[in-house]
Amino acid sequence: MIEAAFDRLMRWIEQVLALAFIAAVGLNFANVVDRYVLGSSILGADEVQIYIMVWMTFLGAVIVAWRDQHLRMDVIAKRLPARFRAWLRASETLLLALLAGVVLVQSSRYAWEMLALGETSSVAGIPMWFPHSAVAVGFGLITVIALWRGVRMARRAEADR
Amino acid sequence: MIFALGAVPIVLLLLGFPIFLVLLAAVTVALVLFMHIPLAALHQNLFGAIDAFALLAVPYFIYAGELMGRGSVARRIVDVVRTGIGPVPGSLGVTAVGTSAIFGAISGASAATVATVGKIMLPAMRRSNYPETFSAGLITAVGAIDIIIPPSIPMIVYGVAAQESVPRLYAAGILPGLLIAGLLAIYVVWYAKRNDIESGESFRLDSFLRAAWRGVWALGAPVIILGGIYGGVFSPTEAAGVACVYAAFVTRYVYRELTWRDIVDAAGNTALFTGQVLLIVACANVFAWLLTVNQFPAAIVAWIETLNVSAWQLLAAINVLLLAVGCFLDPLSAILLLSPLLVPVVKSVGIDGIHFGIVVTVNLAIGLFHPPFGINIFVAQSALGLKLEVIYRGIIPFVLIYLVALVLITYIPEISLASMRLLLRG
Repeated sequence: MIEAAFDRLMRWIEQVLALAFIAAVGLNFANVVDRYVLGSSILGADEVQIYIMVWMTFLGAVIVAWRDQHLRMDVIAKRLPARFRAWLRASETLLLALLAGVVLVQSSRYAWEMLALGETSSVAGIPMWFPHSAVAVGFGLITVIALWRGVRMARRAEADR
Repeated sequence: MIFALGAVPIVLLLLGFPIFLVLLAAVTVALVLFMHIPLAALHQNLFGAIDAFALLAVPYFIYAGELMGRGSVARRIVDVVRTGIGPVPGSLGVTAVGTSAIFGAISGASAATVATVGKIMLPAMRRSNYPETFSAGLITAVGAIDIIIPPSIPMIVYGVAAQESVPRLYAAGILPGLLIAGLLAIYVVWYAKRNDIESGESFRLDSFLRAAWRGVWALGAPVIILGGIYGGVFSPTEAAGVACVYAAFVTRYVYRELTWRDIVDAAGNTALFTGQVLLIVACANVFAWLLTVNQFPAAIVAWIETLNVSAWQLLAAINVLLLAVGCFLDPLSAILLLSPLLVPVVKSVGIDGIHFGIVVTVNLAIGLFHPPFGINIFVAQSALGLKLEVIYRGIIPFVLIYLVALVLITYIPEISLASMRLLLRG
């Protein structure tokens, strides 16, 4: 049930990111047309596109983590004995939970400071806690995924015993 | 510190950990155990890396390529090239080379070109009695031109990592890309003549014009991208965004092949690619920052100076290193990991940063299909149903041709810099 819930969440995030990305493409095009047809430009268009990319990066990374598609150089690891590979997999999950958790804490603090200071972007006036929180949300969800995988591995190991 | 920024990443990389995690582990160990810098620096550098307008071109060009690759664009380009070259020995092989070069000016994603062009050309080459090893080798190798001919995703990433101009890199990539395409075409013609393989149909203007008319919208994409950038109409990022709108318009309304659902799905795929690649860019930025503040590049430059090596010796050593790295790592990760160390070193012996960017890209392009682990070998295996041993046997002559081109591009900087000077006037 939890796996299915994660799958649904990932599909939903993918759809939201896809639509946000299409909006960024539209904004880029509108800005170019505006410059050549009306001789003006859409203020803050660049900032909005960049912040959409920031969210795509850190939320896209969550989906990639869930589907286990992060880029890696595994030509050597693939040739190791199965037991050692299982041990490596467990170590990777533990390290991922730990490090993603560290980034989650640091990024949450930073975004919170941005909120407290009331910082906004220089042209579009976007509250800066919003793009900064993409890092916290992304690594937060990666932490949850890693913890869930850890629990699953522990249960499986218990059952095997 | 060498333990944190040297041993930790090398060990984790070899153990097959995700590349972003390798970098994140190295920088966290360095920050916590050796540097005592507040961990807030971690967030600032992760965010700061992606907060860059130039990087937007990466997802935009991927999206444009994804849209153009889903319909009949490749088929139309094949028809234009095939009817245009006439009765040349090995005309189908030359068509595969020409199509890949043109497709490279649209997408910049090498693996997609191998699969798309291969699906069209391989059955035709089989029907014309090309030896399977030759066809497999050619189709697996030609896709690598894509990351050399602009628009090129690795060049954007190199531009950001090495702080070099992307339009200059793009301009500098044109002649090297055409040089490789030319060398491949010459080899195909020589091979076909020697083995008495098909010589294609005679040139007929009406067939060519008909194919050109059918493919005019497909051929418009590179004109918009490169013409827009070098005509001073758009920045590379804007050109990439405009290419997305053009690709969506052509595939949805002109060719009527894609639905709105397909267009949204392609955007979803692009978001996943962005999550895969730009997360590494973010983590590599922290890694590069730590290398710089700990003066690693400066120490390497000082060491190289004591060795008294000339520029050509240094480039030879770097080529060997990059060819080896390219066999195991994808081009983007390799650029992000090595640029902070290599760029200051080559600049210290007077090598131009743009020329070096092209040398790096060509090296890593070879890594894309170099046995035993080049990614395009596995793309050809899975997408085209080719046997690994057939690809391995067929790929060797093409690796040698790329190596000849690499030597020329490395030691004749004008091959890269001439087109840049011409297009950007200085």
